[in-house]
Amino acid sequence: MTPALEATGLGMRYRRTWALRDCSVAVPSGRVAALVGPNGAGKTTLLHLAVGMLAPATGEVRVFGRPVRESMERIAFLAQSKPLYAGFRVEEMLRFGRELNPRWDGAAARRRLADLGIPLDRRVGRLSGGQRTQVALTVALAKRPDLLVLDEPLADLDPLARDDVMRGLMEAVAETGLTVLLSSHVVSELEGVCDWLVVVNGGRIQVSGDIDELVAGHRLLTGPAETADALAARMPVVSRGGAGRQATMLVRDATPPLDPRWTARPVNLEETVLAYLRAPDLAALPRPSLASAR
Amino acid sequence: MIEFHLDRGSGVATYLQLVHQVRHALRLGALRPGDRLPTAKEVVAQLTINPNTVLKAYRELEREGLVVGRPGLGTFVERSLGETSMSDRVRLRAELVQWVRNGRQAGLDQEDMRALVATVLGDMFREEIA
Amino acid sequence: MLWLTWRQHRTQILVTGGLLLALGLLLLVSGLRATAYISEHAPSGCPGPAAACSGVNSAIYHDYYHPVFTVFGLLPLVGSALVGAFWGAPLLAAEFERGTNALAWTQSVSPGRWLMAKLGLLGGMVVVAALALSAMIGAWLPVFRGAVGDKTLEPGTFTITGVVPAAWWLFAFVLGAAAGTLFRRTLAAMAVTVALIALTIPAVFFSRDSYAEPVRTVTTGWTALYDRGGSLVRDAWVTPSGQEVITPPDGVCPPPPGVDARSERAQLLKDGCLIEEGYRKAVYHHPPERFWRFQWTETGILLTGALALGGLAVTRTLRRRS
Repeated sequence: MTPALEATGLGMRYRRTWALRDCSVAVPSGRVAALVGPNGAGKTTLLHLAVGMLAPATGEVRVFGRPVRESMERIAFLAQSKPLYAGFRVEEMLRFGRELNPRWDGAAARRRLADLGIPLDRRVGRLSGGQRTQVALTVALAKRPDLLVLDEPLADLDPLARDDVMRGLMEAVAETGLTVLLSSHVVSELEGVCDWLVVVNGGRIQVSGDIDELVAGHRLLTGPAETADALAARMPVVSRGGAGRQATMLVRDATPPLDPRWTARPVNLEETVLAYLRAPDLAALPRPSLASAR
Repeated sequence: MIEFHLDRGSGVATYLQLVHQVRHALRLGALRPGDRLPTAKEVVAQLTINPNTVLKAYRELEREGLVVGRPGLGTFVERSLGETSMSDRVRLRAELVQWVRNGRQAGLDQEDMRALVATVLGDMFREEIA
Repeated sequence: MLWLTWRQHRTQILVTGGLLLALGLLLLVSGLRATAYISEHAPSGCPGPAAACSGVNSAIYHDYYHPVFTVFGLLPLVGSALVGAFWGAPLLAAEFERGTNALAWTQSVSPGRWLMAKLGLLGGMVVVAALALSAMIGAWLPVFRGAVGDKTLEPGTFTITGVVPAAWWLFAFVLGAAAGTLFRRTLAAMAVTVALIALTIPAVFFSRDSYAEPVRTVTTGWTALYDRGGSLVRDAWVTPSGQEVITPPDGVCPPPPGVDARSERAQLLKDGCLIEEGYRKAVYHHPPERFWRFQWTETGILLTGALALGGLAVTRTLRRRS
């Protein structure tokens, strides 16, 4: 199956510094993928490359198997600032979408705004932050994209608006089966929402894969410190901690430890991601042959 | 109809939480054969979760033969749980009582035993799904 | 794209249309009033070059021509600067500034087509507006030809008639758009646009005389030559032996005693005396027949500039670095 998004050998440089280097990553079709990483890790650059806002210095991005700039009918992008024309009325934003997109679904857009209680004759500049995001999301969804890319969609929204926006997005996924790629630096808000994870750290792809498999494939081991080295030699250790005679290790291994002095407990998404972010040299990437597998 | 709830940050995968809740409802008789499970969209609207997660949970339940998906109609409960296990339960409970006695003799207190049970349960079920 | 262009730029379009209408009315009223004045007050054969007409000529010039012309004389500078600042500069700078380029350029319509449509539609409107203004002025000027004389190649008139205004406005528009891709802030792009236009105008004005080799006419009646509406490049005296000198030798035709050497009368007496002595004036000038040749030369220069700037705006937009 052709991945919704596939980047190979992607690199981007601003003057002398590389914002992204040798990134190869795929998001399978139909997934809700999270792009996670510290601020300045290259998330926005990667997203801008994915929607053709930037041209890569090296490598290429393909969307459903075709170059990005030939696929703009199938891609929608919601930038971090939720750009809309402040002087336009909401209905004029819909007209904007209709004029510029052959696949435009105006009826669905009107329905969605009516459900949200956003008046069509309101000026965009007078909308609240949450409403603004909802209008921008409506414009993006009415394009009927197969891939929706969102840059920090929940940043600077209050908790209620966050839930509303995310629910709207999830309902759209349920209705249309579109692929979503969204960036965030708050891992906790992604749990339950995203099913695919891409971690970018220091301009490189560090983790890429199914979230359930990733989380289930890791566990936190606790046991006597003197046997820690022996155990660590047998399995990939993501992070190590502990004090005195007790050691803890977050390992990429799902089998229970044979040594009865060690206990294992499952980890959640946030623990796993944080452990990887603290160990930038460690990677959890699918084998190349599996990169595009569902 | 079942109403799902989520324990975010519990470390249990979301789809497994849904699976457990359906099984639980089947055991308690809150869900009976013929009942329709909420559609992915209904669950999404209620919980703000990924619809793929709901579908994954339903696939898992279908694989276990507990529910069946009828295209265009929805997902329906196929059989219930727990009716035939009355005698099994009595037997298992007796075994557990014996195990707890052994534990006390070995010097474990209530908390030790609970931790041990939780670890074993966690390991066993994780192996099953991994 | 037609609707979007209209919706985003309707303020500029409406204001420009309104200003054109106001200027048109001003010209119409001025022309009608001048015509009425001439038919009521001018003696027969006037206004014209005849000496008897000088009174009425001067009245028409001061009361009807001059006040209106001061408004239009500013148009080459002010008009271009306004078009560059309000049509050109915000076109791309405002999108960058508000981040809406991320919205506009990720739709199904490609950024290339978006930019071409905007440049084409707005550029077209700018050209039409300039041509309309030039046509209105072109209809107003002949009313005063008798009183004021032909001013075809005079810098002030040349810039607001024919096709040159359209070239100027289009150049200013594209310059503004290109500045927007370089500065990405509307206000900065506006300021840079106005500054560059203020530099371009004198540069073009002063190079105008070199659009063609000037004609050299050796004559004693140079005033008539000046009044024909051509453009004077320079003049010099030709000695009886045929040599060209900037000033005749001091000894020839000194001012008569009692006349202040600095007065206009001394100058006239000196000119008359020099002609008596066999001196002639060599006038280097562009005759008014060169009007269209000059119009198209200047248009060509400005359009080349506009094309280069347009290329810059397009490549900087399409290369896309955010």
